Amino acid sequence: MISAEDLSKVYGQRTALDHVSFEVPEGEIFGFVGPNGAGKTTTLRILAALLEPTSGHASIDGTDVAQNPARVHTRIGYMPDFFGVYDQLTVAEYLDFYAACYRQPKQRRTKIVGELLELIGLTDRRGQLVDTLSRGLKQRLCLARALVHDPVVLLLDEPASGLDPRARVEMREILKELRGMGKTIIISSHILPELTELCTMIGIIDHGRMRATGSVQDVIRGLSAGRRLRINVVGAREPAIAILEPLESVRHVEIANGTIEADYEGDDSTAADILQALTAGGIKVAAFSQVDGGLEEAFMRATSEDV
Amino acid sequence: MNGVVSAFWNPIVAKEYRSRMRTWRSPLAMMIYILLVAGLGFAIFSSTVSSNQFGGQPANYGQILFEWLVVFQMILLTFITPALTAGAISSERERQTIDLLFVTRIRPFSIIWGKLLSSMSFVVLLLLLSVPIFSLVFLFGGIEVDQVLYEFLITVVAALTLGVIGIAFSTWLRRTLAATVASYVGAFLLLFGTLGYGLIFPTTVDAKVTKAPAPPAITFLSPMLPLLYMANNGQLPFPYGIRDNSGFLNQGGGTVCGISPGGGKFCTSTSNGAPIAITSSGGGFTSLQTGSTGTAIPSGLFEGWQPWQATILMQLVICLVALLVSAFLLPPVRRLPWRRRRVVELEDA
Repeated sequence: MISAEDLSKVYGQRTALDHVSFEVPEGEIFGFVGPNGAGKTTTLRILAALLEPTSGHASIDGTDVAQNPARVHTRIGYMPDFFGVYDQLTVAEYLDFYAACYRQPKQRRTKIVGELLELIGLTDRRGQLVDTLSRGLKQRLCLARALVHDPVVLLLDEPASGLDPRARVEMREILKELRGMGKTIIISSHILPELTELCTMIGIIDHGRMRATGSVQDVIRGLSAGRRLRINVVGAREPAIAILEPLESVRHVEIANGTIEADYEGDDSTAADILQALTAGGIKVAAFSQVDGGLEEAFMRATSEDV
Repeated sequence: MNGVVSAFWNPIVAKEYRSRMRTWRSPLAMMIYILLVAGLGFAIFSSTVSSNQFGGQPANYGQILFEWLVVFQMILLTFITPALTAGAISSERERQTIDLLFVTRIRPFSIIWGKLLSSMSFVVLLLLLSVPIFSLVFLFGGIEVDQVLYEFLITVVAALTLGVIGIAFSTWLRRTLAATVASYVGAFLLLFGTLGYGLIFPTTVDAKVTKAPAPPAITFLSPMLPLLYMANNGQLPFPYGIRDNSGFLNQGGGTVCGISPGGGKFCTSTSNGAPIAITSSGGGFTSLQTGSTGTAIPSGLFEGWQPWQATILMQLVICLVALLVSAFLLPPVRRLPWRRRRVVELEDA
């Protein structure tokens, strides 16, 4: 349904996107994750035909984005990472305006506006001026705006950014409802755990490059392959480091807050082997534990490597 | 909805009407506008009556009042119109709502057209509000209905041109402040810069030819010239745009002469401070036809045209060019029309 093939975007000397490729089949929810400035918005703007890539191709529902943007616009609902609202328009008028922009007939518009207000829970605020809504409600209204023409694909750029926890939960519930309607969705976020519950696929982007892409389970497994040990020893730490560093499974050793921290690759058995090597070398180990960094820390590690 | 109707009435027009008329600014602007026009009208009438206590004719009052009103209205619109349109597109960019329009089925030209139509509707509303004040000139006489209609036509087209210039700068410069400054510079160049050209580079009177000279063609770009020609029954109230090396116009004794579009010579005496027009026809030049709405331009690029026709034609050309440039500059991904057509053909195949 959505295909990005070797997308690159260069602004002068700066490369915003560097040969990014991914595919999102119909009905999937693709979580597009990366730190701020990683290239998420650039990718989504290219998919929405709002930006021309320096090289590469993108297509939506079989239509090349660069060659037929008008047709692509009928297939997508785009929600940018800001909420553009107009002064002096009520909630219902705001949605009616965009429905008219998508050339929906007048009678149909009234029905669409009613249904969308019900979906986002703003029926009782239909007469309220848009610029007096809270941030969370504006975000929901902008999501509804992206749905006025019943698109098959939704491109949502940070739909939950800046929302309080309650508003985040409400937004997530609306997205789950859209997933149930069979929409193909790309959601960008800089917070990985926020998406793992909702998405069926994940792509991790950093410095304009796609670091990992695939099903949620595969990507998480890949990220969690590297693990960390925290070791306290009695006496000097240098002999312990001298034993750890030559070990094949140990990737990196450092001293943090007076404690030895060692990154290694492997499972619990590998950790036991490392402990055994230390004790066999005559090191008195006072504490030996695995750092529970979780998904967030794994994601941070994945996106902080130098490119 | 067919193409013509949707071109004139797209959702942007309705939205702009709602947004504009719901604020207190619009009624306030209308009130100030009417007060200014009415205030000036009253001031001109009072001063004319008081300076012509002995021998003043009501017809003169009407003509003088009308002349001042049309010029003042044009100057007011020169200040108002760029303010209405210079932020039309750039404010959408600054508010970050422009992308939301680009992903809809509205074409860039419709966005521009919708913004222009809604702004110009407000200008037309202001002009309609001033009609009762203008109708006062008929109490005194000296002005025909067709003169008033032509004056309004010239004013509307000039305001449209100023509006389109504002939209073009708003599309090109992206920031409202920069677009507003550029629009005002453009507006004043159009109105007064072109008149300044006529003062600096006037047409030279050549005694050997039998054709009366006219101010340089570019000076007719300013709506001020046809407005003044129209209000003064085909001639300017002062000499303008002509340099006389042959001595034909030099009367001496504090009297300066000029040439009306019909080829007639007229002189103004500046000795008593207030210029008084003394008109004489012919003057050795071939007079051209005289119409009810003014007199034709005797020579130059627009020879035989009425001044208002030359002005409106040039301004409409500017409008067309500015609209096309705006429509090209607006889309986020620019593509030349022939390239766009080729893509569509490929898809159809």
